[in-house]
Amino acid sequence: MLPAAFSLLADYTEDYAWFPDSASTFSEEVDSLYYWITGIAVFFFVIVIVALFGFAVKYRKAKGMKAESQVSHNTKLELAWSVIPSIFLVGMFIFGAKVYLDMRSVPEGSYEVGVQAFKWGWTMDYGRGTYHPELHLLVNEPTKLTMRSSDVIHSLYVPAFRAKKDVVPGRYNYMWFQPTLATEKVSDEELAAATKETEENGSEWDFDKYQFTPDGYRFYDLYCAEYCGENHSQMQTVVVVHKTREDLDAWIKKYSSRSETESLESYGEKLYARRGCSGCHSADGKQMTGPTYKNLFGAQRALTNGANVIADENYLRESILYPKEKIAAGYQPVMPSYKGQLSDDDIDSLIAYIKSLSANAQ
Amino acid sequence: MSAGLNIPGGTVRDPGFPTERENYLTNSKGVLSWLFTLDHKRIGVMYLIGVTMAFALGGLLALALRWHLLDPDGTLFTNNIYNQVFTLHGAIMVFLFIIPSIPAALGNFLVPIMLGAKDVAFPRLNLSSFYLWIFGAIFFVMALCASGLDTGWTFYTPYSTTTDTSVIMATLGAFILGFSSIFTGLNFIVTINTMRPPGMTWFRMPLFLWATYATSIIQVLATPVLGITLLLLVAERTMHIGIFDPEYNGDPVTYQHFFWFYSHPAVYIMILPAFGIISEIISVHSHKHIFGYRFIAYSSIAIALLGFLVWGHHMFTAGMSDMTTIIFSALTFTVSVPSAIKVFNWLATMYKGSISLTTPMCYAISFIFLFTIGGLTGLHLGTLATDQHLHDTYFVVAHFHYVMVGGTLVAFLGGLFHWWPKMFGRMYNENGGRFSAFLVFLGFNLTFLPQFILGSRGMPRRYATYDPEFATLHTASTHGALILGIGLLVALIVLLMSLVRGKKASANPWGGATLEWNCTSPPPFYNFERAPAVGDPYDFHSIEWDEENERYVTVDPERKIAPEEEPTTEPAHADKKH
Repeated sequence: MLPAAFSLLADYTEDYAWFPDSASTFSEEVDSLYYWITGIAVFFFVIVIVALFGFAVKYRKAKGMKAESQVSHNTKLELAWSVIPSIFLVGMFIFGAKVYLDMRSVPEGSYEVGVQAFKWGWTMDYGRGTYHPELHLLVNEPTKLTMRSSDVIHSLYVPAFRAKKDVVPGRYNYMWFQPTLATEKVSDEELAAATKETEENGSEWDFDKYQFTPDGYRFYDLYCAEYCGENHSQMQTVVVVHKTREDLDAWIKKYSSRSETESLESYGEKLYARRGCSGCHSADGKQMTGPTYKNLFGAQRALTNGANVIADENYLRESILYPKEKIAAGYQPVMPSYKGQLSDDDIDSLIAYIKSLSANAQ
Repeated sequence: MSAGLNIPGGTVRDPGFPTERENYLTNSKGVLSWLFTLDHKRIGVMYLIGVTMAFALGGLLALALRWHLLDPDGTLFTNNIYNQVFTLHGAIMVFLFIIPSIPAALGNFLVPIMLGAKDVAFPRLNLSSFYLWIFGAIFFVMALCASGLDTGWTFYTPYSTTTDTSVIMATLGAFILGFSSIFTGLNFIVTINTMRPPGMTWFRMPLFLWATYATSIIQVLATPVLGITLLLLVAERTMHIGIFDPEYNGDPVTYQHFFWFYSHPAVYIMILPAFGIISEIISVHSHKHIFGYRFIAYSSIAIALLGFLVWGHHMFTAGMSDMTTIIFSALTFTVSVPSAIKVFNWLATMYKGSISLTTPMCYAISFIFLFTIGGLTGLHLGTLATDQHLHDTYFVVAHFHYVMVGGTLVAFLGGLFHWWPKMFGRMYNENGGRFSAFLVFLGFNLTFLPQFILGSRGMPRRYATYDPEFATLHTASTHGALILGIGLLVALIVLLMSLVRGKKASANPWGGATLEWNCTSPPPFYNFERAPAVGDPYDFHSIEWDEENERYVTVDPERKIAPEEEPTTEPAHADKKH
């Protein structure tokens, strides 16, 4: 009855709803356990509060009046209120541990996605060289994430799935879930209007404003839940749950590699936005965590060790694969390595894009 | 000594007022007489000033954080500054306010007086631990302000080993503060073990002393682990010894084990003394014997011991083995039982009492309300399945603020209002005090209730900016914080005003039966001329209200020499022979 009451309340007060969408097999179990614990807690809370305020009013007396009783203990009563609540605690522990064990036992044959977390973004590895910051899944298919971190501890959290796991550098952590609710695709007109508007403004895609991805899918939020430094609060991405395998495969194919017809430069620009470069490097000369790309190529760079280099193709390639080798003066060595995550063609494309932003390039 | 009180067959005992020569506040003058004092009461007062200043600083930072979060994109700071401000807020509140607040400030003042002793066992160690605190505090705040620490108060690796902010300076500050805490704990353990007056057996100690004793055990046993952890962290940063940093084959989760092995028991350093205060206040202001003395005393010790076994619940999502995780969940539930026992015992103490709704009692009632919420929401976090969703969200933020602020801070304020007349010899304005308790209660709930919902809806903690759908609840929370701030300001003003125009406080303004109410307000510098007679600390039979002089007095039964007639010197059977 209580959950029903809460959800009824939630319908009326959208802003104060207790939970986000319930979109995985775990969310139902977690929510009902939550309501059950809350029910027990409210029960005991009401007892305590009624007694607290009741006694405070009923036994309020003028100064100097003696207490009606000076009873100092009652062992049976005290044992009773020590033992009875403990029974509820045992129940909470057992149900909690049971559901937890489900969360830790990955079903055989799950769909696997690799996750790389870095300051401050995510790269999902769909295999065969396809990487993308968004997490795309198939509805009703158990999915296992194998997660590693390039730098500090992050934590992958999808509230709609009620699932969270820390991503710890130096080890692989895994998690799994089974999405039960696909995310809709918006109409082509709506998508076209949003795409046009974004292009006209020359800005990045505004997920908060449109509430769908640049490919036109509605989404669930994916947050980093473990504090990881400056842009921790912007280390977010989206989860899209596809209705059919064909739709998911088509989406993956779209991002698998550069198409025959696309230029290095324009593909590089896409990688710049998609693979997290834009989180730290600006394209317009703005000062950010890392050096800007504007007029970078072909320029003289002072390094932290005092040496000077020309930012040529080899320097850029080294900086992408081994970013801690040569640090530009005035910056921190915080960039993660992209070794093994970018193909040669990807690196070529990025260099071509950086070249296109520089007046020094021939 | 007193006129007007009509007690048949009894004599009234009241120590009256101290002379200026006796009063510990005035018996010697000048700044140096304070700086070099060995008097535990003066050291307690200096601690009180110190922690209040630290609290004011931490509180202003909290208000700045809440103000920033009025808008989803933030109103005041860049991300970097926000991270530094929340680190400062957490670190100052934990290391400089909550941990020393009750044990060091109120504890220093009260422990010897409650024992009927003249001072703590090691007065010089006591002063040195105060100076360590001052030194550590200055070091710590300077380190934080110099280059801005942005690791959070937890210093998690490998973030703390790679950030370029002043981690080493800050950890050294925390290290020094740790020693201050250990010395105070050691001092109290020795004092309570060796200096109890004749007649005060362990089970005739006031419950505040039980709580202090349990706290001190934790301080002495757990704080060295923090010292070790921080030294290892410094070694990792400077020498890359490869224990926490994965780049040198270390494991970051090891750091979390080390850190929480101290910091979880530290949570009980923060809350146990609060339990002690509430036990005193509820009993005295209900004028009724505390209910279930032994259960409360044992539960303090149980919490102190069990508190060492539950640190793993901070790491339920970190990737410990499933078995370890489940064991820690089970242990976590066991520690909730002793806290529940205490709440029921306090309620039973109020039952059929004679309750005076004084300012301290209002704070104590507020404490039970808030702490119950804090404790019950711990169940959602101890349960593994729900914790996977709620871990590292605002639900956790709300939960621990209900325990640390709704619990410890409110108890600290209650204790301060309760013992203020004893400490400074002045009564404050009761209505002003009650009004502050009401504002604090209202503002606190408005600040943190919305955060539970933010958490269950999935808002992660330590976010400088957030998604627009969370804005309404964040705004409500900020408004609550403003009210809370005003309430605390009112409390401060009420207390400070009492020093200027408060009525002189009698020795026993509330009707307490513990020893501190047997000496004058404020106490003489020597506390007691000789160790007082000790009875049951919660026996109120002989405490009477003296309407005319507005004070409580102890009424001793009329003493007579018994037998009244001198015995005859001749043996009683002497004449039988004849």
